[in-house]
Amino acid sequence: MASWIEQAIARGILTTRYPRADPTEAEVPLTGRAPVPGVPPVPWAAAVDSCPVGAIAETSVDQGKCIRCARCLPYGLAFAGSVESVGRSRVALRAGGSDATRSAGSDPPLSGFARSVHVFLVDVGSCNACNLEVLALANPFYDSQRLGIFFTNSPRHADLLLVVGVPTLEMRDPLRRAYEAIPSPKAVVAVGACPVSGGAFAGSPGLVGPLDELLPVDVYLAGCPPSPLGILNAIRTAAGRGRSAEGE
Amino acid sequence: MTRAPWRVEPEVAASVLPPPERALAYAPDDGAFALYNDYQEGAAVLVPSPRAIAPREPLLVWAGAGEPGGPHPLAPRAAVEGYGVFTFPYGPVTLGVPEAGKFDVTTYGERVLNLAPIGGYKSRRIGRSVVGLPVEDAALRVERMAGNFSAAHAAAFLSATESATELEVPTVELWTRGFAQELQRIYNHFHVLARVAEAASQNVGVAQAHALAEEVLRLQGAIFGHRWLFGALLPHGPPRRLDPPHRKAWSSELSRLSDEFDRLWTLFLESRTFVDRVQGTCPVGRADAIRWGAVGPTLRASGVAWDDRLRVPVPPYDDLFLALSHETAGDALARISVRAAEVRASFLLLEQMLDRWPGTSARSLPTPPVGDGRGIGRTEAPSGDLVYDVRVRDGRVAALAFRSPSTANWPVFALGMRDAVFTDFHFAFESFGLVFAETDG
Amino acid sequence: MDAAGVVLTAAVVGLFAGAPLSLVRREVGYATTLVASVLLLIAAVWALGFGSVHGLGWSGPLGDPESLTLDGLSAFFALAAAIVWVATSAYSLGYDDRPTPVLAVCYSLTLGAIALLVASSSWLLFLVGWEVMTLASYGMILQARGRPARVFSASFVFLAFGEASTLLVFVAIAALHGVTGTFSEVPALAAGSLGTVVFVAALVGFGLKMGVAPFHMSEWLPIAHSSAPSNASAVLSSTLTLAGAYGLFRVLSVLPAPPLWWGAVMLAIGATSVLLGALFAAVSEHTKGLPAYSTIENNGLILVALGIALIARSNDLPDLYVFALFAAFYQAIAHAIAKTALFLSAGYAEHSAHTFDLNALGGRSKGVDGPAYLGTLAASLSLAAAPPLAGFVSEWMVLEALFQSYRFSPEWVQFVGLLAGAAVALAAGLILVAMVKFVGFTLLWRPRPVAGGARAPSLGAPIAAAGAVIFGIGVGAPWLLRFLTPAVAALAGGPVVAPVAGLLAVPNGWSIVSGSPFGILSPPVIPIALVLGGLVAFGYYELGSRARPRRVEPWMAGTPPGRERETYTSFGYSTGVRIMMSSVLATREVRTRVGSVTQAELATPVSYNVELEVLDLFKVFYDELVQFGESLSAALKEGLMPGRLGRYLAYILIVTLAVVIYVAWAA
Repeated sequence: MASWIEQAIARGILTTRYPRADPTEAEVPLTGRAPVPGVPPVPWAAAVDSCPVGAIAETSVDQGKCIRCARCLPYGLAFAGSVESVGRSRVALRAGGSDATRSAGSDPPLSGFARSVHVFLVDVGSCNACNLEVLALANPFYDSQRLGIFFTNSPRHADLLLVVGVPTLEMRDPLRRAYEAIPSPKAVVAVGACPVSGGAFAGSPGLVGPLDELLPVDVYLAGCPPSPLGILNAIRTAAGRGRSAEGE
Repeated sequence: MTRAPWRVEPEVAASVLPPPERALAYAPDDGAFALYNDYQEGAAVLVPSPRAIAPREPLLVWAGAGEPGGPHPLAPRAAVEGYGVFTFPYGPVTLGVPEAGKFDVTTYGERVLNLAPIGGYKSRRIGRSVVGLPVEDAALRVERMAGNFSAAHAAAFLSATESATELEVPTVELWTRGFAQELQRIYNHFHVLARVAEAASQNVGVAQAHALAEEVLRLQGAIFGHRWLFGALLPHGPPRRLDPPHRKAWSSELSRLSDEFDRLWTLFLESRTFVDRVQGTCPVGRADAIRWGAVGPTLRASGVAWDDRLRVPVPPYDDLFLALSHETAGDALARISVRAAEVRASFLLLEQMLDRWPGTSARSLPTPPVGDGRGIGRTEAPSGDLVYDVRVRDGRVAALAFRSPSTANWPVFALGMRDAVFTDFHFAFESFGLVFAETDG
Repeated sequence: MDAAGVVLTAAVVGLFAGAPLSLVRREVGYATTLVASVLLLIAAVWALGFGSVHGLGWSGPLGDPESLTLDGLSAFFALAAAIVWVATSAYSLGYDDRPTPVLAVCYSLTLGAIALLVASSSWLLFLVGWEVMTLASYGMILQARGRPARVFSASFVFLAFGEASTLLVFVAIAALHGVTGTFSEVPALAAGSLGTVVFVAALVGFGLKMGVAPFHMSEWLPIAHSSAPSNASAVLSSTLTLAGAYGLFRVLSVLPAPPLWWGAVMLAIGATSVLLGALFAAVSEHTKGLPAYSTIENNGLILVALGIALIARSNDLPDLYVFALFAAFYQAIAHAIAKTALFLSAGYAEHSAHTFDLNALGGRSKGVDGPAYLGTLAASLSLAAAPPLAGFVSEWMVLEALFQSYRFSPEWVQFVGLLAGAAVALAAGLILVAMVKFVGFTLLWRPRPVAGGARAPSLGAPIAAAGAVIFGIGVGAPWLLRFLTPAVAALAGGPVVAPVAGLLAVPNGWSIVSGSPFGILSPPVIPIALVLGGLVAFGYYELGSRARPRRVEPWMAGTPPGRERETYTSFGYSTGVRIMMSSVLATREVRTRVGSVTQAELATPVSYNVELEVLDLFKVFYDELVQFGESLSAALKEGLMPGRLGRYLAYILIVTLAVVIYVAWAA
């Protein structure tokens, strides 16, 4: 027993100061940030061609489709901002700019979970990276409990539904049951490129498509996978205490 | 203790299988060949003729090879009847097992009489969807087969395509693959240890182990630009930081992590309550492990000294020192002890690699592979032997099949769980390190 | 004879008269017993309220005056029995559909015999009633449906234990005659060593009928193994054991100051019965076997309370003595009514589902009518000691009495009290498992609705009535205790005061006090508090947010709920107890492989059959005893009477020589 205490004290405090402070580079590496148009692209067409999922359009970048393969880096795209893009609508993720929590103005504010929010995670077809990033919120570096974010075993006790992975045919019914089992008020968060847009598997046979074809999604979080701080940002937005209700 | 001491057992029949020390590693659906591991000789054996496959081979479903038929069992079933016996479903949406997969647990109360893992819930049909894609684009999907094994899947897939098209790969690229895989192996073993400790409610240990795992993820992000090594081994990806000043920094960071882990592991072994929970849990004997096709730390924990890095060596492993670790007890403690020993071995490998790094850090892979052919790529993923079987036509993928370590280990897990109690489930499951994502494909 | 005496006589005669009337028409017989039970109830209430009731009197064969009399003690048992019989007779009207009227005849005879022995004024009449009761019950059990060999062997076990009990009661009565010099049930002045004989014979003899350890096999085996008709099972479990308790109480009332060790022995035996009964109830899967084991537990509680009373009397603790006696009486009546309801509901389930298996029943609430459902719920909750029902109050009283064992001296008695208290507390937990199984897996939920069984309001009403009585005497416990004062006084041999009082806002007479000062409980306040709390919650709900509830299917980890065999069975629920207590229950798993043993395990599925079995070690003991007896008698037969003429001639020769020698020597 004594040695566990010594061990813990010797390691010190590891927890990030986010959201009171900005994330550091160690916390969010290069591809942990959102792709945005950087240096004027020369030529832009090459940048459009380089993207394997078609996230780069005429003058904008659809962050919801980006799978962080970084092929567009030589063509003038940059990965900037401190955490991934969090949007209240699918459209909000389509733009340039950094760290935007965009509300489309007429979106009703999500409220009711100001002090504590209980989260239920459902995997509908992920590669496991997003699952592990969500579970990483419990480790000492991020410690979601200090922000009043708890994970529940049962949807009956949950306020938020976190969905990771691109929905498969087989998981359609279990997902629907999980959604119905959560009592109102509730919110749905699509975590990662897969539920937001299909991710690397967009258009594959046997997959249902983006999540908003199955459920009403309240918060969209881009990334492949989004870093734990991005997930924290999305949960806090869904809980009504987003990093910036007005955009920062 | 989890075994029932008061059981009346019937006799066990002999069955028709390959010789005891030889296990089938991979056999494609078209029967063109069969790949065996011979544990006695310590070598992989490729048998090119279909008639070489013995009758009544294990008829398990190899993932990614054909039509995904919806949810299907991942281990041979045993039907159990009796008064008061019932089968309840655990999954596919639970928190204890974070992925989408179901377990049908047959029981009469506290004891598991039969456990049937059911997969196919999260099948993204990658094996079908990459057909026709250029190898580079297919690799984007293949490395997302299982995010925490992305380096192993990418390495095995690329190695398969390169062997199909007979492409020469520069040494520095092979060393980068080895480096990335060893880093990811360390992350996975830390994660498994943390999950097993979570099942035992060793809260301080859990936090410390998760913290170590997070530090490895951050190191991966710093070196390769992505925490999960997506794009790290592909021709075009995030820039790598493997030039000499950075290598020095990584070297000292790795040795710090190594010391931290040694301290943590000693504390775990000294914790009587922890050892008590994992000792004797879900044991798998040597004969069973071979017969049911176990791979990886599971196989080594049951007493078979087989590691792809030693038995089927590709550079850089043919040039580096690796001490093979194995145990004989076959229980959860043995499995995590093997992983702990492998962590140390991996740290040593990384140190050797950083010391003798051949060349620059820039990507030097030439144009994508061209031509036609069929190739096999094998690597030792953190959970075991991973085999890719790729046919290339005109620089595009014509067919993709693979056998992942999780697919091979599911029957071993189901077998070991018989006669365990409910509370042992998480210890057993986490100690195997099984992932549904790479089983379903 | 005054009016009350006429009523009493008419009641006893009427119960017997039901037998010949049943031969005419079954419903007439049951209706007669119903009316007679009501008359008995009236007589008992009169006796408790206004003093002893004297019925018909005559002169016995030995010249002793005999009569039908209800003093305080008899009146209590007659009251409890009469309430049970009203319910079972009403139930039998709709339940008995057998081809012959034998069941109805034996039923009436049993009831008449028990009424006779309770109302008897002399020990001879008591013995007559006792034996008729045993024989008539044997007749009832023989009416079980099932394989004849099994039915016969189970009934034979009952008869064997019954006759052993009669034998010991005979010994006790003879010894009592030696002490008092008369067969009348009058108190003795001094006991001496014969008193010990009386006590031991009575304890074992009546204990056999009550079903306490180590004789509990006589209680559960006939009921569980031969599926006796439900009205018979209810009468057996409730009133037969009540008759045994009455005999014990009566013997104790006539014996003077008991020594300390009597109480300690009763306490030890009672505590063992409580624990064993609860343990076996928790692992039983039979709708009749489970309540049968619960009977063993409850009768053990009666013995525990009596034991504490005797010890308290020896230690000169008058308030604990009186309190423990009240606890014993209250426990007896609470159990009798609740157990009746439970057996009747098991009969209801058999009527609609044709099974006695808890695992096969599963969620009958869709096919069970409301009153029966509520009655069963109330009865099982009472046996699980849930407030504010009668079982809760009785369990509280017994535990309070046990808590005060620290006042005993010398220390070894305190130690016995300590162990007994621990056993009773453990049993309370185990019986909770048993009752949750009985109610939860049968009534409360099933994944898919069952094709409704036949509803039978005539079967449901008695169950509901019994449940209502349980609730009534639970909430009205202080007043019932005051009403039972004459009964306790008859046992204690002097005037007593009921342990009721008041405290703070609770009016005087609304609370039960277990010692001064020690513990206090106010049963009527509990439902008042619950109703008030419920009103507050309801008001909050009505005035608060108006969110409408939304119905969804149960959450089963994402799989569709309601498939066959996919939820916990009653067996699975109690396997934890089977495994934890495997040393006491001799738990054993037997696994057999089904199908050809040459199947390659990897290619095709293997089939297993797994059975987890438990064993009553006492039954093993009895089986060994029976075997020993049979082999001994066979050996003696072989040895002494081999059927050889030469040997018999030798016997004649030896005896003749012995007689000659003796005569010659004596002369």
